[in-house]
Amino acid sequence: MSINKQSKGGIRSKQIQEERACYLMLATQIIGFLALSAYPIIWTFRWAFFNYNGVESKAVYVGLENFIRMFTTDFTYWKVWGNTLLLALCKLPLELPLAMIIALLLSQKKLFGSNFFRTMYYLPNIISVAVVGLIFSNMFSIWGYVNNVLMDIGIIAKEINWFATKAGAMAVIVISSTWSSFGVNVMYFMAALTNVPEELYECARLDGASQWTVFWKITLPMIVSVFKIILLMSIVGTLGTNESILALTNGGPFGETYTVMSYLTGKFVPGFADVASPNLGYGCAMSIITTILFAFIAVGYNWLNKKMQD
Amino acid sequence: MKKTIGRVFTYIFLLAVLAFAVLPLMYTIFASFKTNMEILTDPGSMFPKKFTFDNYITAWNSENFRVGPMVLNSTIYTLFNVVVTVLTASMAGYVFARGNFRGKKLVFGCFLSLMFIQVGGISIYAVFDVLNLVNLTSSLFSLMIVKMFGVQTMQLYLVKGYVETLPKELDEAAEIDGCSFFKIYYKIIMPLLLPILATVAMLSFQGSWNEYLMPTIFTVSQPSQQTLIVGLMALKSSSGAATQWNLMLAGSVIALFPVLVAYAFGNRFFISGLSAGAVKG
Repeated sequence: MSINKQSKGGIRSKQIQEERACYLMLATQIIGFLALSAYPIIWTFRWAFFNYNGVESKAVYVGLENFIRMFTTDFTYWKVWGNTLLLALCKLPLELPLAMIIALLLSQKKLFGSNFFRTMYYLPNIISVAVVGLIFSNMFSIWGYVNNVLMDIGIIAKEINWFATKAGAMAVIVISSTWSSFGVNVMYFMAALTNVPEELYECARLDGASQWTVFWKITLPMIVSVFKIILLMSIVGTLGTNESILALTNGGPFGETYTVMSYLTGKFVPGFADVASPNLGYGCAMSIITTILFAFIAVGYNWLNKKMQD
Repeated sequence: MKKTIGRVFTYIFLLAVLAFAVLPLMYTIFASFKTNMEILTDPGSMFPKKFTFDNYITAWNSENFRVGPMVLNSTIYTLFNVVVTVLTASMAGYVFARGNFRGKKLVFGCFLSLMFIQVGGISIYAVFDVLNLVNLTSSLFSLMIVKMFGVQTMQLYLVKGYVETLPKELDEAAEIDGCSFFKIYYKIIMPLLLPILATVAMLSFQGSWNEYLMPTIFTVSQPSQQTLIVGLMALKSSSGAATQWNLMLAGSVIALFPVLVAYAFGNRFFISGLSAGAVKG
């Protein structure tokens, strides 16, 4: 009896020991989560109701005024949302079909060099956004490589000042961000395609289906669930574009190419902000609305998907 | 016959895309060996007319673009982050895969929520508040402390998934031999995790070396602590940028070099990390 009791106690103390070990091993991350992630969120929610420029004694409680201001008088915030959506609308219809076609071609049986192409396509993705920004500002500068080549082959007659107009700057942003991320989507599509059973293709071929029919009737339906995930990740990723804008155009010309995230960084974050002491309270309000809108977009996307399935 | 034509078109297309993928890099690398005069006046050609190392020498000796110290800062910052990430991610992955403790679901849920709930850059002011409490001002060192306490959600996920594939009998046998929970981790599990830890280290290396936003924020008042990436962007936004493409291009190539070498030797690690990320999504 007493032995039984002892071993029970042993198990319990062992359990307590394990618990202690677990929490000790997670200690830095739990502290970090509370102090560097959770507290900043609470901080943001608090100051959104103040006029606050970093000096606590001068902070003034303004209630909902910051929120009212961004919905009624200051439309810059919504303009940058417009830019963000424009970027997504230009980039995704270009990048995703491109990645899909490449993945289909690379997935062909006995294609020599398939691995090499895949590896090289992914290469731009490992490069720092800052370096990408530098490379593309150099190549697209008015006296740069791209203009020279375009003039040499006679596509344009005179240099285009890419970064002087919204359309030009947006085009460079779309090209550079497609350049850096299309390889990732090629990888994802290829992974999806390997999951399509070979027998399906063979059956279709026996039935005499054309390549086109095979793609629409077999390949696409088989990868549609993965495709939806890729699409969601691309949408969220593109709408969240931040550093690459700062590195490439820094919002220029005249803030016309700011996306939401890069606008918030470029206006309120030290090292990027152009004013010495911005109204952080207003920034907090905009950050909160941005977070909520992002959540809405993700949830809305899932809801739409379900609706379409029914 | 029809198949051969198909193959030819396939290759033409794939090679065109290949050109799109590597041309900007090739251009940058070649241009960094041009004279500044040639960069500015004759950018239309891919290859340098006169091959020169001058840009690298100028960059090395430059007063306002101090490559040496910046490379050193980048190296220290990157190595520190790699070590810390490997340690914390492997411990957290092991604990969440094998540990039994009250509050496990809650803690895991909290960590996971970081992938979805983020209020963006403005909350950095709150981080500075916290750092002030422990008498840290903004510097690259403070940023390393912040990183040390950070939760690396994706890396944690990679390790957790990998630990779950290891047979549980290993732990049980070690437990019978009297190993404590922590001892099982560093005697039994940790050595088996090497392949996934290589992936974690590689991703963390690339991420830290390339990082732009956070190092910029933390070195605003300490220009001597700038990493190479931060210094490059500072030079780009400086007033004389238009005439200093030679420095920026040489600096870009120096910044590219370690990452390209890592990718050349370890691209499978990058790619395995990517597919794990996809599964999670």
